[in-house]
Amino acid sequence: MDKVVKITIDGKEVEVPAGLNLIDAAETVGIHIPNLCYLKGMKGIGACRLCLVEIEGLKAPVIACNTKVKEGMIVHTKTEKVQEIRKFVIDLILSMHPLDCMTCTKAGVCNLQRYAYEFELKESSFMRKKFGYPTDEANPFIKRDPEYCILCGRCVRICKEQGTSVLDFMGRGIESRVITANDNPLQESGCTFCGSCLDVCPVNALLEADRWRKGREWEYEKFDSVCLLCGNSCSVVVSTKDDRVQKINSGGTPGSVEKYICAYGRFWFDSIDGESRVLRPMKRENGRLIETTWDDALKVVAERLKKAGKDTGFLVAGNILNEDAIALKRFATDVVKTKNIGSSVSLYSDTDILLRSQKVDIDKADLIILVGLNPSQWERVLPALDAMVRRKVNRNARLIVISEKETKIGEVASVNIVGNEISIIKRIVKALIREGLKVSKKVEEEVKDVEITEAIEKAAKMIKDSNELVVLSSPALFDAASNIALMKGNIVAVPIEGNAKGVVLMGIDSQGRSYKDLALNGAKVIYAIGNIPLKTRPDTDFLVVQNSHLTELAKEADVVLPSTTFFEEAGTIVDYMGRVRYLSMVIQPCGESKSHRDIFINLAKIMGTNLKKITESDVKKAMNVKSKLIEGRFIKDEEHDVNLAEFIESENSTIINNSRLLWLKEAIGLHV
Amino acid sequence: MNEDLLAQEKGKTVEDIRREADSKSCAVQKALYFISEFVSGPMCGKCFPCALGTGEAKLRLLKISQHLEGVSEKDIEVLKRIGQRMLEASFCKKGKDTGKFLVDLITNSEEEFKEHVQGKCRYKECISLIEYVINPDLCIMCDKCREVCKYNAIIGEKGLPYKRGYLPYEIVQKRCTKCGECLKVCPTGAIELVTHIIEEVVNK
Repeated sequence: MDKVVKITIDGKEVEVPAGLNLIDAAETVGIHIPNLCYLKGMKGIGACRLCLVEIEGLKAPVIACNTKVKEGMIVHTKTEKVQEIRKFVIDLILSMHPLDCMTCTKAGVCNLQRYAYEFELKESSFMRKKFGYPTDEANPFIKRDPEYCILCGRCVRICKEQGTSVLDFMGRGIESRVITANDNPLQESGCTFCGSCLDVCPVNALLEADRWRKGREWEYEKFDSVCLLCGNSCSVVVSTKDDRVQKINSGGTPGSVEKYICAYGRFWFDSIDGESRVLRPMKRENGRLIETTWDDALKVVAERLKKAGKDTGFLVAGNILNEDAIALKRFATDVVKTKNIGSSVSLYSDTDILLRSQKVDIDKADLIILVGLNPSQWERVLPALDAMVRRKVNRNARLIVISEKETKIGEVASVNIVGNEISIIKRIVKALIREGLKVSKKVEEEVKDVEITEAIEKAAKMIKDSNELVVLSSPALFDAASNIALMKGNIVAVPIEGNAKGVVLMGIDSQGRSYKDLALNGAKVIYAIGNIPLKTRPDTDFLVVQNSHLTELAKEADVVLPSTTFFEEAGTIVDYMGRVRYLSMVIQPCGESKSHRDIFINLAKIMGTNLKKITESDVKKAMNVKSKLIEGRFIKDEEHDVNLAEFIESENSTIINNSRLLWLKEAIGLHV
Repeated sequence: MNEDLLAQEKGKTVEDIRREADSKSCAVQKALYFISEFVSGPMCGKCFPCALGTGEAKLRLLKISQHLEGVSEKDIEVLKRIGQRMLEASFCKKGKDTGKFLVDLITNSEEEFKEHVQGKCRYKECISLIEYVINPDLCIMCDKCREVCKYNAIIGEKGLPYKRGYLPYEIVQKRCTKCGECLKVCPTGAIELVTHIIEEVVNK
């Protein structure tokens, strides 16, 4: 979108990017065109009629949300005619909306309030209408109050676009309202409680269930951060008040298909100071874990580590921050002097594959190929990926799904091929060779004997015709799938943990004993860092667990060191699409918890080594790995084929059990 | 295309409604019929000026035709405003046509609308604005109307040739529902509909 066009808005001659609609174009030069039903990134529907503008040369006003800018266009956004229409519509909406801004939680961010102010409407000049619809507040996540609803339809549309389709309109005119199927409460209507509707509701009709008197928008401090509960690493905006997280919204680029967070990402924050949060170091005495001081705990750990030396095994989760990973690497190699750092990343991916995984811009893609991935918002397996792909499909991208078993995402695919993945990929590559793909003799030999079916032909044609191809592959099939991306486009391996790629880039690469080996066979001292998917104590003399919560594993530890959650320390990660992402320090660490890096630095000091503070340039240096797409082998790495649903639930079990997500687990189950 | 098909299946188009509305004489009744039929029929209700505007218009028209509390000439102004805005801002032709119908009707029959606000329906179609009364000069005291009245709204005594000093026939307005049954049975046409401008009671 490098092209610009010259247009005149309200007498100002400006240059705006070509291809935008008038609302977005005007926004780039600081002119706001009122709207209620417009959703950035989606096609304008022109229902609210607030965005009507007048264009010179056209007889009637047009809707700005669905009119693209054209060179030389002369637009008037505030003529008497359109202002009167806007005032009329706001006036009408006000006649059916409670006038209780003084106690309304949405005051300050409510679009209706904003426009009522702009058009000087203290109250409606029309007849007051009250309907007495009941509020749905039978769940701890989303409160729906139809009395406030202005029927803009944003929630309905966002829910449909991401494929959940829980909400819809019933009735017409002033008697219409937004309901679920059969008007059931949300938990009985297939809702996943992702809360996308909360992010788009312009008024108080959809609200986080516990928001009442938890502060209003202007009281919040807002932080951009990233959710690290699964491999999607979604952008979030965290609102805090009095150093407590009050709510989490989806972050990132407005209008992007990636702007989504799931129920975990939006509601896990109860667990930050939940019951099982470890606030002070603990050590085992007479068989029981008792609280102790940092000095004492670190001294005990240091002693053991010194004794064990290279017989120590580190087990680390793939969602710690880059800085923590570097500190761990240095601590292990320079201080403890062991190579045994096993990361849970190695359970589902070859480290080399994550390094070869490329950078992509999903918003530009016009063809997506899913290889061996079964994302599902309902199963809570990479829900953001599922939502993203469905939204892409709804925005006219094509989708090819290659999987061993029938998948739900396959239902929306242009081509859905079920069967042995390797064999399917081979066929596609053969078809691509026919379409002009150049490969080595070896690959040609490999695919020589496979048959090409109609579906394969169709898929190959799509690949050939695409402009921006993105292949999303499970790590286990990355090697084989990368042959498809040889022709064009880019390929990305989708890991299960939030900073899997970052952790690998920072040098956690299992040069010594592997995670599996350490977890199974143990070592003299086992040092577990973060939420690893391990529930029982490995065979070891001494178990250190460094985590924010008292997990099953931590309960069996000899020393528990309280670490911070990813909201309590600033840092960076590298997401699966290869982008460096920043996490802010959203709140102060709970209790005496410390970041992983600080704990390692302190431990090193006690053990007689000074570890330098990790800086940005350390991370940058580690990031500097060049990788090239190469021909891959046609094999499925069975060893790295894991059950994603179990893995994600296992890693997040303490968070689920310590927040309102427990309700979700108990009332409707986590895998609907 | 699809919407047209749907409208066909449902039956009425905006044109049909206009034709039906034209069979009424009273302008307020015309408008009320048009809007009510539009809302329950061809309206898609997707864009706000039409979806919300018709709702408000219907309420205002009911207020005028039933002479509800607070009715004033402002209601006519509001109706006009709704019509104009629907005409300008509606997405589709149906909404625009409905807006135009309202505007035209009110412009052409403004006087009639104003009479309604004052309590008079000149075509005697707004039942809240009319009264049934018995013209004593024409009444032959046959008692047919009293017999047929389901609401016991008619009092009087059947005239007998040998009796004098009987009770004259009268309609108790409080009980009368204006169902019109008595009109049908009266052999002499003694029951009349009256409508008149209600004198405003001003509290001093």
